[in-house]
This record gives sequence, C-alpha cells and structure tokens, in this order.
Amino acid sequence: MPLQWLFLIVLAIATLGYVMGRRRALAAAHHDRRRLHSLPSYYGANAGLKAFVPAFLFAVIWLLVQPLVVTNTVSNMLGADVIPDTSSRGLVMSEVRRAADGLDAAVAQGFITKDRARSADADLNEVTESLKSAGQIITSELTRPILNAAQRYRAMTGAGASIMSGLVILIALAGALWGIWQAKAEFRARNVVEQGIRALLIAAASIAILTTLGIVLSLIFNTIEFFRLYPAADFFLGLNWAPSFSGRGGSSDLGVLPLLWGTLYISLVALSVAVPIGLFAAVYLSEYASPRARGIAKPLLEILAGIPTIVYGLFALLTVGPLLMQVFGEDGLGWMQAGTAVMTAGLVMGIMLIPFVSSLSDDIINAVPQAMRDGSYGLGATQSETIRQVVLPAALPGIVGAILLAASRAIGETMIVVLGAGAAARLSLNPFDAMTTVTAKIVSQLTGDADFASPEALVAFALGMTLFVITLALNVFALYVVRKYREQYE
Amino acid sequence: MYDSPISERQLTQQEIKFSARGVQVYYGDNHAIKGVDVDLEDKTVTAFIGPSGCGKSTFLRCLNRMNDTIDICRVEGTITLDDQDIYDKRVDPVQLRARVGMVFQKPNPFPKSIYDNVAYGPRIHGMARNRDELDSIVEKSLRRAAIWDEVKDRLNAPGTGLSGGQQQRLCIARAVATEPEVLLMDEPCSALDPIATAQVEELIDELRQDYSVVIVTHSMQQAARVSQKTAFFHLGHLVEFGETSQIFTNPEDKRTESYITGRIG
Repeated sequence: MPLQWLFLIVLAIATLGYVMGRRRALAAAHHDRRRLHSLPSYYGANAGLKAFVPAFLFAVIWLLVQPLVVTNTVSNMLGADVIPDTSSRGLVMSEVRRAADGLDAAVAQGFITKDRARSADADLNEVTESLKSAGQIITSELTRPILNAAQRYRAMTGAGASIMSGLVILIALAGALWGIWQAKAEFRARNVVEQGIRALLIAAASIAILTTLGIVLSLIFNTIEFFRLYPAADFFLGLNWAPSFSGRGGSSDLGVLPLLWGTLYISLVALSVAVPIGLFAAVYLSEYASPRARGIAKPLLEILAGIPTIVYGLFALLTVGPLLMQVFGEDGLGWMQAGTAVMTAGLVMGIMLIPFVSSLSDDIINAVPQAMRDGSYGLGATQSETIRQVVLPAALPGIVGAILLAASRAIGETMIVVLGAGAAARLSLNPFDAMTTVTAKIVSQLTGDADFASPEALVAFALGMTLFVITLALNVFALYVVRKYREQYE
Repeated sequence: MYDSPISERQLTQQEIKFSARGVQVYYGDNHAIKGVDVDLEDKTVTAFIGPSGCGKSTFLRCLNRMNDTIDICRVEGTITLDDQDIYDKRVDPVQLRARVGMVFQKPNPFPKSIYDNVAYGPRIHGMARNRDELDSIVEKSLRRAAIWDEVKDRLNAPGTGLSGGQQQRLCIARAVATEPEVLLMDEPCSALDPIATAQVEELIDELRQDYSVVIVTHSMQQAARVSQKTAFFHLGHLVEFGETSQIFTNPEDKRTESYITGRIG
C-alpha cells in the first residue's frame, strides 16, 4: 500500500475519532455542554490525537529502521566469495538494491510476471532481458547470488511495508477507540489535549536542535577523515593554498590562512561600510525622522535585506568592479589589476549588511526608555548630546550584538565573494588585490571532479568546520555581550 | 496650626520667578490646560495638587518647555521667567532647561557611574575648567542632595545599582549640579517607600533656601508638609491658588474642599 494512502487512512480514522469522541461526550452529558468538564471539541481532539500521533510516530520509526534491518539481513546472506576483490560489500549491496528496484519496475510495467520475479531459480538471461526492456540500467551481468539477494530484498521490503500498514492502522484504530471510550463527562479532556500539544511543541523544538547536531556530526566525521589524510599543522599554519586536482593528492598545499585572511579582510571592509552607515541610518530613523518619514524609509531600507545575494554579486561584478577600475585601475591610480578585488566584494557586502545593522540597531535604540531622554533634555542637553551621551551608551550592548551578528553573516557570505572578489587565495595587504574566502573555496573544492575521498575534496569539510567554529564563537560572544549588559537601564 | 507663621509671611514677599498668563495647552484636539494664570515665587515650594488627568503635570512641563519634545502638543498664552517670555522665538529651550531643572516621577539615572550621572550637566554646559572643579561640583551636588555619605566610596559604581530612594536623590543631585534657578519635581516620591519619601521631603525643604521649587504630588499630606503655596487643578482649570495653610484649612472653592476631604478625585 502506498504511503500516501496509509497517511490518508490514518487521517480518516483520526477525523472519525474526533467526530465520535465529540458526539459521545455530548451524549454522555445528555446534550448539555455545561455538564462536561471541557468543551466538546476537546473530547474530539483527544480521540483524534490519540489516533493520529502514535500511529504516525510508529510509521516514521518503522520507515527509519526497516531499511537498516533489511540491508543487514541481505548483506549477511551474501557470502564473502560473491564480493569481487576490486569491489566492496557496499558496492555489491547497491547493485542488489538496483536489481530489486529494477524488478519492481519491470513487474509494474508487465515485462515479467510476479511469480517469475519471485522464483529463486528464474532464468538469469530472461530476467536480465526483461529488466532491460523495462528500461532499467544494470551495470554488470546479473549473477545468481545477486539475483537471489535482490529477490530476498524485494520480499522483505514488501512484507515489511504490508506489516507496517497493518500495524499502523491497528494502532490508529486502537488509539481512536481509547479516545472515544474516554469521552465521559468527568474526563479532563482539556488538560490531556493541552499536554499533547505541549509534547508536539517540544518535539518540533527538538527536531530543530537535532538537525543542528546532525549537521555538526556530519562535518566532524569528514573533518576527522581529512586530518587523517592531511596533517592538521599544515592545514592551520600553512601560508599557501594550492590544491592540485590530479586526484592523487600529496602535492597539494592546503593552508587555511590565506583563506581566513581573505575572509577577515573582506568582512572588515564590509563592516566598515555597513556599521557607520547602518548606525547613522538607525539613529536618524529612530530619533529624528517624523513618523511619516520613518514609515516610508524603514520598509525601503529593509527591501535591501530581501535582495538575493547573487543579485548583489552581479552588482559587484558588473557595476562596482568596473567603477572602481576607473578610479584605481590602470588608467587611474594603477593599484587595481582587475575588477574583482577585496574592495569590490567588501563594498557590496557592506551594502548588503546595512539593513541588517540599521534594523536591529533601530529596534534597540527604540527600546531605550523615554525616561532616559527626558532626563537628559531636562538637564538642558540638546538632541545630539542626548543621543551621543545617553541613548547610544545605553543601547551599546545591543548595538554590539547587532554588529557581531552582521559580522558572522559577512563571514558566511559566498555569492558576492565568488563574483566580486575573484578566486585567487593570497596573503596581501592591498585591498585592491583579488582574494578569496573560506566559503568560496568550499564551493570550488566540492564542485570539482576530484575523488571524494581525496584531501582536496575533504578539505571542504575542514574549512566548513573552521568557519562554523568561528561564527559560533562570534554568535556566542554576541549573546554574551547582549546578555551581560541587557538590564543596565532597568 | 503651622510651625512658623512669621517665616511664611516673609516668604510671601519673595519676588516672582515664574508668571503665567492665559496658558492654554492642547494635545491634538484635547484641550488639557484651560486658561491658567499663576505667579510662582522665588525661594518657595509650590505644590500642584489635583486628581489624575487634571493637567498639573502638563503645566509643570510647560515651565521648562519639555512639552516641545511631544509633537502634537501646542502651548498658547505667555509664561515669563524673570520677566522674559520663555516661549519667545529667541529663547533656546535647551538653555532654558539648564536654568529650570527637572526631577521625574520615576528615578531615571543614566546607565553610567554615579559620578558621571552628576557630572553630566556640568560637562555639557562647560561649567568646570578642570577635573578638580568638576570633582567639587559633583561633591557639592551630592552633599546638597543628602546622598554624599552613602555614595562617596563608590562614585564609579553604576547609578542604576542604587536603591529607589537613592536613585531619586541622585537624580536630584544631577538636577542641582547645573545650578538651576527653579527645580521642577513631577511626583518625585510616587515610586518611593515612606522612608525614602521622608528623606526626599527633607531635602526639598533644604533646597528652598536656594531655589524656587515646584512639586506635583498626589499626596495631600505631602503638599501640606513641604509646600508654602498650593495650587489646585481640576479638569484643566486652576481652581484655587494660595497659601498652603489656607488651602488645606479654609478653601474658598467648593471643589477644592471636596477634593481635600476626599469626595472627588
């Protein structure tokens, strides 16, 4: 039974449970809802939740566990002699899986009968033929053990799916019946439903956290793998970034420092554009602008935040780069070799970060109590004295937090760098040189056709991990700063 | 009935500091103050009493043009400080506020050190030539606000770390540090406990030696305790203005009597 159908059936059972639970509760109270402990819909929701949630969770867990069990069993079936020396168990297993999928497709299209597909002594050539005519790709000739394993795989998967469907429906029915049976006047349905909703919310929150954990773990394992192939000292202290794409490795220099330098340099340029402009914009918007001007200017500023970064990248490549070239290039001051440079990417990234800084700072400045301003005005301070000496110091921790958050965005930015800063990793102080960043190099290392197990490809994970640690540290530091000074004016 | 009738008679002969004629205040369409005429004397504590929303705080904020910071507020009529119209175009409201200090309902120390809180005004107005002078201004102001002994050992601690009563006295010190001629106080004790209130009241009485003090209060006992003159506001009108002792013992207007005896409010 396809999963969609199963899902719809469970949903139907839950809906039925809702209606029946509600009706039974009303009947128990002789159709006088004042005699019920909770509103009738809570009794319905109780039955509905009891039908749906356990069945759904069970299905999810089953779907996660089943492939593991099946693969394990089938894999044990294959003797060591089946696996060629040049291959591995994993590769043979993927062949088995392909054959099983092929058989499924062939049966579905009618090229082979169900019995034939299942029989252990089916003719190998015939099966291969029917698979080919069904348009299935078979890498090598089917062998007897692989065919048998594939048949076994099919059988177990099919059986598993049927058993799961049956169990899920049973669980849903049992849950619905339990919920309906509970629907009596004195049953505290409201409290039970509240608890159920709380559990759902907790589950949603933990999924987000678990995903983060999963991302970190996937990075960690590949990073460890990389450091096994490439010495960590050379990675962290190397001054040269020159990956070779011969595929064998060994001759590559994978020093992270030029990339980190590029990242920090470009971020620094970006922040020195974004912080003053963003901050001044925020001060104007929150302190000087009339409500009308603010109502127009603030959304306009925030439009900047909605522009995809690739568009900023194009802006850097097509507009800002040539513009800078006119002034600093060969015809001008002669500092700049090409349109792609730290300055180009930094300026454009700074523009991208303006709404980020200004919007957050604006909120923070607005949160400074009016009593602070009144106190300052009452002492004969002008508006700008008040802002400089009272409002900004009071808002400073929040503003620092906003700037650090903007910094971690600048560090993680990729598209603008790819298009605006060039691809050359170099350690240079000239802001008109082309440089590149960690993120841009992660992209180029993974999009090449290097062997995935080579240090040239795996270095991307080490780079990602380094970046992750840096931005995490920045975010933690930002949170620390904000939290430490938050209550200052309360 | 009152402690020293002689001194009070002397007080009534003080020169006029503030003089208001036909003051009208509008918040948008809301007519908040309706034709107030009043003369406030120097070296006198004047109390504004009246039920909530009667306009006493609004009128107080007219005296140092704090209402200018509210966009929809409009003031008509004339208010003079030492015979000079404070709503004249040539008057800089910022300088006016340096002459007319203000203490607010809720203590609002800046998130700075105690020292910097008090030194804020003198620094802005360039009142000290060097660090020593600034130090002495700060000490003098804190002493005058009767808080010097409590904070002299921790002048660099944040002002927000003090207790509520201490914070309010710090705000008073901050206000007197700029050497104002008039001190406006908008319910300065409403956020304080009785002990802190008593301290602030004592302080107000001492400040009378040098300043004209105007205090808005909801507590009639407080008005009776600290003020020499009392003005009763009701629904935007100045109903009655006179000697505190007379207002509280023998009011002329029926509304004043009703309010003081607790029948309206």
